[in-house]
Amino acid sequence: MHLLRTAPRRLLAGAGALLLGTGLVLAAGLLTGTATPVHAAAPAAAAGPDTGVGYVRLAHLSPDTPSVDVYLAARGAAEPRVFPGVGYGVLSDYLPLPAGRYAVAMREAGAPAGDPPVLTTEVAVVSGEAYTVAGVGRYADLGLRVLHDDLSAPDGGRAKVRVVQASVRAPVLDVACADGPTLATGVQFATTTDYRLVEPGTWRLRLSPGGGRATEAEIRLSGGAVYSLLVLDAEDGGLTTELRRDAQGGTVVPSGGVDAGAGGTAGGGARPGIAVGLAGIALLGGLVLLRRARTTW
Amino acid sequence: MSGGRGPAVRRHRRPRPPATALVAFGAAICLAAGSGVGLATTARPPVDPPAATASAPSPLAAGRPPGCAGECPPAARSAPRGQPTRVRVPRIGLDAPLAVLGLDRSGALVPPADFDVAGWYGGGPAPGDPGPAVLAGHLDSRQGPAVFARLGELRAGDTVEVRRGGRWLAFRVTGALRTPKDRFPTAAVYGPTPGPELRLVTCGGDFDRRRGHYRDNVVVFAVAEPAA
Repeated sequence: MHLLRTAPRRLLAGAGALLLGTGLVLAAGLLTGTATPVHAAAPAAAAGPDTGVGYVRLAHLSPDTPSVDVYLAARGAAEPRVFPGVGYGVLSDYLPLPAGRYAVAMREAGAPAGDPPVLTTEVAVVSGEAYTVAGVGRYADLGLRVLHDDLSAPDGGRAKVRVVQASVRAPVLDVACADGPTLATGVQFATTTDYRLVEPGTWRLRLSPGGGRATEAEIRLSGGAVYSLLVLDAEDGGLTTELRRDAQGGTVVPSGGVDAGAGGTAGGGARPGIAVGLAGIALLGGLVLLRRARTTW
Repeated sequence: MSGGRGPAVRRHRRPRPPATALVAFGAAICLAAGSGVGLATTARPPVDPPAATASAPSPLAAGRPPGCAGECPPAARSAPRGQPTRVRVPRIGLDAPLAVLGLDRSGALVPPADFDVAGWYGGGPAPGDPGPAVLAGHLDSRQGPAVFARLGELRAGDTVEVRRGGRWLAFRVTGALRTPKDRFPTAAVYGPTPGPELRLVTCGGDFDRRRGHYRDNVVVFAVAEPAA
């Protein structure tokens, strides 16, 4: 009977000491803030919000350049994504892509993927950021440019508009809303303006090339959205515009986080004081246990 | 190391050992549990996933097929209408109705009143429309796990589905983070996005008993699955 009683107790003492050790280590981790109990894989908050994706789109903004096939490949990836037959004036949708470096290659439409590309560039995608990889300039001096797009929310529920100038016919251009704000003045061919804040609603636009005939257009903007106004050479002469919504958000953004828990599954570890107290009790208990174990031997 | 503890505890409790030993033992266990270890294993056992994901021919009308630059076929572009009514994630046994959430006087998002119901922030984009649709749900009630108890288990690549306009819209998880509420990444969560996206928000981290709230938020980010 005596043996039967002591054997489990010694086992228990051993197990208790082991648990105690683990507990203390964990408590230490908790107190120094190294434990991430809910979401071990979550990146440290200090590393900045990591949404897991950035955005890339392609644009063909060179009026006299024929259609091209565009290849987009993650570094080290075997299979590139192919955008076939991208012609002048095309602004693709954004692709959500994991952060990292991507190679962009342009070939003549229909050319085999094995052919040497006409143009190449690289885009470094950062989580949460957006990029437009644009073929710009005239065919003779065509280049690939990576535009960093700012999709951040426009202030006060307004809209945000920028001008992407891809018209050779109007090498310098003024863009203004009738009875409203000026969007851009003296925009050069193959350049992009900064975003301007505009009240949401319908606006009549006036595009005035230096010395030429003005072109009018109507645009409709909704609050919380980000737009690019593409200015292109029209096929029948003159200018044409295309309003693209780059991104959309809400107009009223909640402040701060969300209180979404009542603590029913929370451990005592939330209060360092309790953790320390428990550690003390456990230590004391362990010592008593060890002493008792020795005296009964 | 957390795996073997449970069974060991139960095995040794049966012989009813002396009180002091029990005290030490119990204290050690409390300590371990309080440190948050084994939270994942003590959480609700996985519920049988509801019927296999019925993927409609076009789960998302506004989806962005990769590789179609500008001249995408206009087929299946009819936008979903109405309010979202349910959210489900078979892998973590989540299948819950959606309420519409608003803001309190201070401008903060009010969580669902019901612990078993998730909510959609009705002042922002709806799931399936361009923009970040925000869903919030409780991590736990006073009694135990609530609707978003297992949100922290979601990983990149997981599928989240939202019921709207008579069909399920599919979203692919791209990332997740845990953040102190006083440093909530508002721009990343609510900021404009090119396509339809989803954010799922619940609580996490330590529970502040004095305030009666968790200190952190867990946010899961997802983007619309391109139409199949």
